[in-house]
Amino acid sequence: MKQGRILTLAIGLAMLTALMVLSGCPGQKAADTTAPTDMAVKPPAEAGGPPATGAKETIRQIGSTTVLPLAEKWREAFNKLHPEVDIAVSGGGSGTGIKGLISKSCEIANSSREIKDKEIEEAKAAGVSPVEHLVAYDGIAVIVNKENPLTKISVEQLSDIYTGKTTKWDAVGAKGLGDIQVINRESSSGTYDSFKEMVVQLHGKEKDRDFMAGTLNQTSTESVLSLVSETKGAIGYVGLGYVDDRVKVLDVIPIGGKEPVKASAETVLSGKYPISRKLYCYTNGEPTGNLKTYMDWIKGPEGQAIVSEVGYIPLAK
Amino acid sequence: MRSTKPRRWGERLIEGAIKSTGIATIVFVLLIFVFLLKDSLPLFGHAKQTASLLGTRWLPTSEPEQFGLIPLLLGSLYVTLGAMVISVPLGVACAIFIAELAPQWLRELLKPLVELLAAVPSVVFGALGVLLLGPWFAKTLHLPVGQFAALGSLLLAFMAIPTIVSVSEDALHAVPRALRAGSLALGATHWQSITRVVLPTARSGLIAAGLLGLGRAIGETMTVLMVTGNAAVIPQGLKGFILPVRTMTATIAAEMGETAHNSTHYFALFFIGLLLFLITLVVNVVAEVVVHRMGREAK
Repeated sequence: MKQGRILTLAIGLAMLTALMVLSGCPGQKAADTTAPTDMAVKPPAEAGGPPATGAKETIRQIGSTTVLPLAEKWREAFNKLHPEVDIAVSGGGSGTGIKGLISKSCEIANSSREIKDKEIEEAKAAGVSPVEHLVAYDGIAVIVNKENPLTKISVEQLSDIYTGKTTKWDAVGAKGLGDIQVINRESSSGTYDSFKEMVVQLHGKEKDRDFMAGTLNQTSTESVLSLVSETKGAIGYVGLGYVDDRVKVLDVIPIGGKEPVKASAETVLSGKYPISRKLYCYTNGEPTGNLKTYMDWIKGPEGQAIVSEVGYIPLAK
Repeated sequence: MRSTKPRRWGERLIEGAIKSTGIATIVFVLLIFVFLLKDSLPLFGHAKQTASLLGTRWLPTSEPEQFGLIPLLLGSLYVTLGAMVISVPLGVACAIFIAELAPQWLRELLKPLVELLAAVPSVVFGALGVLLLGPWFAKTLHLPVGQFAALGSLLLAFMAIPTIVSVSEDALHAVPRALRAGSLALGATHWQSITRVVLPTARSGLIAAGLLGLGRAIGETMTVLMVTGNAAVIPQGLKGFILPVRTMTATIAAEMGETAHNSTHYFALFFIGLLLFLITLVVNVVAEVVVHRMGREAK
């Protein structure tokens, strides 16, 4: 009898503790937010970052989803070196970032394209003078199975494949491979956006073109690589830095061009490779203080090492 | 017995704690429902996007956005039905073996092993599928791609089996001993007793087991995201099972991360969540009703 009573009491106590811990949580959390954490918590985009906490300076970096994974890594590494600076990173697209810079809801706008003249005018009207910083290059390799005899493909052909106009390998000159298995990334991927803009829409020339419904969408670069390496009729694309010898990289013929260009860091840096572009950060005026430290660090060896780590191509030394 | 006071006090405390956890569960479910409604209903303020819901194309980032849910619904249906076809016969057979046929020592070994199956994280099943089974199936059966609906079904089946086995086993145990003894006494063989007396009596319990397994399978996310290819196509006939599909759960998981807060895409994903919630709710309510009927029948 006594034993049973002790047991039930123990259970009751355990529950009570659990309740107290649970109800104590909100207070605990509120205290935690002021401390820097390693967790990649993204602030909500529309708020433009968390409110400044105490004396700490917050740098808000908003924009291109292509730059987003890079910016996340930069933030993480920079935060270790300079814990006194808070960096809040979020996506939303290049346009969102530049709008944010104009409305002063961010300090850095990430962009996968150059700022438009119209945006510069808007910025000037708002008293903002955007300064461009080239931070990395984005190159995408087109990959096929090793058993595929094809060695080159044009951007137009790729666009037709990804929009569903071309469905057979015969049509692009690879005999006997049957249907093309079109491997795509999930729409949340920055590479997906890049590929859509540069290939499917032919560098923005055909704005109404889009991926066909029913491509095999993969959640990671790794699964694209392994699926292409295992599937004879597959075609896919990955960031140039991620290519390995399980797959075959196709040379790409630029829009309207004739000569195929090999995908490599050199051809991307020289601007010859057609599926590549420059990635920018825009600031309001020349950066000063912590912002300058951060921008210089990004363009320096440590920031650029992260660029290759994420699969992009670093600036030429 | 000494003074009864502290005991009463302790009991009341525990009772209160248990009661509050019970009520909390109900409150949580209601809150989840309200939250889903709140974040999915604004979608209907956008006429074009609402009209696209019944379409056949899921292109959430195109211009204009297309939120055709038909391929996703069918994708989930294919994967889940496939999983049921595999898991219900296997699960029920396993339960019959454990409850009726296995010797004591084997039963004591099998039960925890089946339960252990439920403890395997779904991402492990997914990795198994995408790294081993997918390529193997593609090679041996000459499939175009190693990511397809039936592969998801197969893995989901193994995840649903523990649920099906334990609920079916309970149902079989609920069959009164007297019925079994009577059947045997009338000269029926062991096998005849099982198929003609025990199984029909436990019928509703077995149906409930299948439905609960179904509820488990339809909501599973990680595995299907990894192995079914995530292609938003409308599966065609039986061939659809060996081709890629895109399920509702995988769509939410894959797209929620980079969706702008309060965009139509965001609302559409929540609407899928709401649909899933309602589907599982209906499946579970039906299962519950069936189990209740089983309880009455047993009496």
